[in-house]
Amino acid sequence: MPEVMKMSNENQEKQGVLTKHDLRKAGYRWLMSVNTFNYEGQLSSSVVFALSQALRKIYKKDDDYVEALNNHYKYFNTHPWIANLVLGAALAMEDKEGIKAKDTIQDFKVGLMGPLAGIGDTIIWILLPTIMGSIAGYMAIKGNPTGMIAWIIMNIFFFIVRTRLFEVGYNQGMKIFTKFSKELTIFTEAASVLGLVVVGALIPSVVTVTCPLSFKTGEVAMKIQPLLDSILPSLIPVTLAFIAYKLLGKKVKMTTLILLIIVISMIGAALGILG
Amino acid sequence: MHVWQIVLITLIAFIKAVDMYGTQVFTFNSIVYGALVGLVLGDVNTGLLVGGTIQLMSLGVAGLGGASVPDYPTATIIATAIAITTGKGMAAGLAIGLPVGMLGVQMDVMAKIANGFIARKSQAYANKKEFSKMTGILFICPVLIGLTAALPVFISITLGKGVVDAILAFMPVWFTGGLTVAGKILPVVGVAVLLRFMPVKKYMEYLIIGFVAAAYLKVPMLGVALAGFALAYNLYKKKLSEGNLAYAGGDEDE
Repeated sequence: MPEVMKMSNENQEKQGVLTKHDLRKAGYRWLMSVNTFNYEGQLSSSVVFALSQALRKIYKKDDDYVEALNNHYKYFNTHPWIANLVLGAALAMEDKEGIKAKDTIQDFKVGLMGPLAGIGDTIIWILLPTIMGSIAGYMAIKGNPTGMIAWIIMNIFFFIVRTRLFEVGYNQGMKIFTKFSKELTIFTEAASVLGLVVVGALIPSVVTVTCPLSFKTGEVAMKIQPLLDSILPSLIPVTLAFIAYKLLGKKVKMTTLILLIIVISMIGAALGILG
Repeated sequence: MHVWQIVLITLIAFIKAVDMYGTQVFTFNSIVYGALVGLVLGDVNTGLLVGGTIQLMSLGVAGLGGASVPDYPTATIIATAIAITTGKGMAAGLAIGLPVGMLGVQMDVMAKIANGFIARKSQAYANKKEFSKMTGILFICPVLIGLTAALPVFISITLGKGVVDAILAFMPVWFTGGLTVAGKILPVVGVAVLLRFMPVKKYMEYLIIGFVAAAYLKVPMLGVALAGFALAYNLYKKKLSEGNLAYAGGDEDE
């Protein structure tokens, strides 16, 4: 990444002890990510795991080091890929200001984790796997692994980029978050348009439940499904999507919704209404 | 199934869980696990079929912010193994794999509770200035996370063909038939979650465009995604220039 190299050259006047090697190492140690997730500190154990070696280099005195560590054991949770930027910037503050910046660092981390998690969850955890998953899934059903391989290659690319985001965060500090905030909002909005088009297409393609019922009036058997199709193709999936959307809005949990669907499916299958 | 196949498949499950939460290269990619298990058992096509089916079933279902969600990739590993080794096909695989994947939620919650004890222990080491123990103890976390998938997979695939056959024979028709129907409805959950995260009310028209393209025009998913990208890019350019204009206008007023 030539940009990163340029950035670090521009910032060489900064008095810090951390080298590019230290930051890269922290980036790789952050791969611990959600593995240490717990209900109190959320990702905090992983923050400590990722930053500990860099912090040890910054704080030579044991007491300062312990104080800095305890600061990072506090609650932290955001999207793990974007966290690299935040933690890199936090290290820059730590490296420049020392332990007296403790509270600023904590405020900075807490202030950014919410909005960044929003963007990361929407684009990286929902949009990307949905688009790649639907394309790769359809190919896989037909015995074609191309989509699956493309998805893996894309994620390997992101893997390389995100482990280096620590350096970008360190070199740019807080600047990066104000600089790109406007573009990022527009980017997120545009990405959600792409998402909506795909979701609109997903409803009739992946929700494939139909109604196999038919009524016999004298000699003529009347099937229900063609009737429904003439009103609107995929009428049942559209209706179900609408109900599920409303239920989630009423704070019904995802797991509850899944169990509800399984029960309805079994009743529907037993009665021959759904198929 | 040979012993080496059981070991490899269990290992795949272990790596799946640790990757899902750590390296995140195969996150949410159920197809890859179907294909890998298929490769171990010598039937990649069935692996792709099972993986692809579960992939489409699980679209949009993501464990955001540390939430526990049904473990679809683990379901894929078990379903593929059962489908190939019993020779009874995908329906039999799903009948065993999906319920175990659902139970995976409980395993995940237990591991995250255990992680809480480890975090406190680690912080205690930090305060005692035993720094290598502080980070060392954290290596237990990924082992626990790995076991949340490895254990259910190991138990499911070693129960033996006889037990699995008995379970499948015991299952009433409404149960297996119901699961097939559930597979056709379940993607609705992901769709609803996606919609909850998107500005549906503001951009309703794009949802309709996507629906018309797929339901009436039968455009394949890649085509829909390309059209969606074009619309998104157009909006991005428009908003960006609008934003700049508004900014310049604001300057003039002052």
